[in-house]
Amino acid sequence: MTLSGYEALFFWIFGLAAIFAGLLTVMARNAVHSALFLISSLVSVAALFVLARAEFIAGVQILVYVGGVMVLFLFVIMLVNVGAEERGHEEIFNNQRQVTASLIFCLLLVGGVLYAVNRGYSGLQILHPNPVSQDQLQATSATGSSQITKDAEGVGGSLYRYASLPFEIASVLLLVAIIGSVMLARTLRQEASADDVAPEVLQEEIARDPQLAKLEPQSE
Amino acid sequence: MLNFTFAFLLQQVEDNRFAQMRHAAANPDLSKFLWIGALLFIIGVAGVLTRRNIIVIFMSIELILNAANLNFIAFSRYLHETGNANALAGQIFTVFIIVVAAAEAAIGLGIVIALYRNKETIWVDEIDLLKW
Repeated sequence: MTLSGYEALFFWIFGLAAIFAGLLTVMARNAVHSALFLISSLVSVAALFVLARAEFIAGVQILVYVGGVMVLFLFVIMLVNVGAEERGHEEIFNNQRQVTASLIFCLLLVGGVLYAVNRGYSGLQILHPNPVSQDQLQATSATGSSQITKDAEGVGGSLYRYASLPFEIASVLLLVAIIGSVMLARTLRQEASADDVAPEVLQEEIARDPQLAKLEPQSE
Repeated sequence: MLNFTFAFLLQQVEDNRFAQMRHAAANPDLSKFLWIGALLFIIGVAGVLTRRNIIVIFMSIELILNAANLNFIAFSRYLHETGNANALAGQIFTVFIIVVAAAEAAIGLGIVIALYRNKETIWVDEIDLLKW
């Protein structure tokens, strides 16, 4: 898989954008800025997916991550991050030993992983000296990039042909996640009105907050 | 004379290496995709290790999962070009990773909200409920 022409240019643009946006995600002081940089990193990675002829996955990435998960993140930041402005004066990387240790670890990881990628890729080149480029079979436009592929069709076909059981399991997983997050995010008042609290705990809470006592007859 | 020839040859080698590097940059292949995936992964690991805001830690985990997705897609494309019949398996695996990431984000943020309601903090060094 060798990109060429404008595809190579866009590969470097979006690759570097993904890396810089990822770095800024980690380094931004404000959590909302982190979320916005993460969105731009995810969009850049989606563009890399398009360059690797995975148009369907790129669309799923933008719809699910940027449209769903990141909006969820922003809402939670809005709900939770009340006192963060006062804490914003602190340095975010203030624990010196922790930062030093993790930087050393990450530099070792960079060296090790890049070494492994290069060694492994040279092994792959020996294994497949001249991969048959499928692009030669496709029509090529004037800029040297090939036309859009039938990616969604292929993914859908093999998703239902080879992975239909994992597909069903994933749907059950999503259902469990929906129910679990709803259960986790309930307040004590909501739990009490659904008669979901142990009686002793409820008595203790009523002793602390008499308002809760009104909810008890409702549940019976 | 010999010295001059040697220097000339070295110059050729240097030029050749530079041309090779330029050729590799103009034609990014599988290994360049893997580099970007590796760097995104490591940035995510650094975020998990250094940050104290639990929401930013979750975002770093999303970055790590996304780096894995990038590797899967790149290998899927590579195997497609080597003529592997089941090359789309990488893309299908990516779909499942996205599903798991969405479920993880939903559950994790539910936990964050419940935690904030009880402990009034989202800084991980103050959340030590399970510390004995």
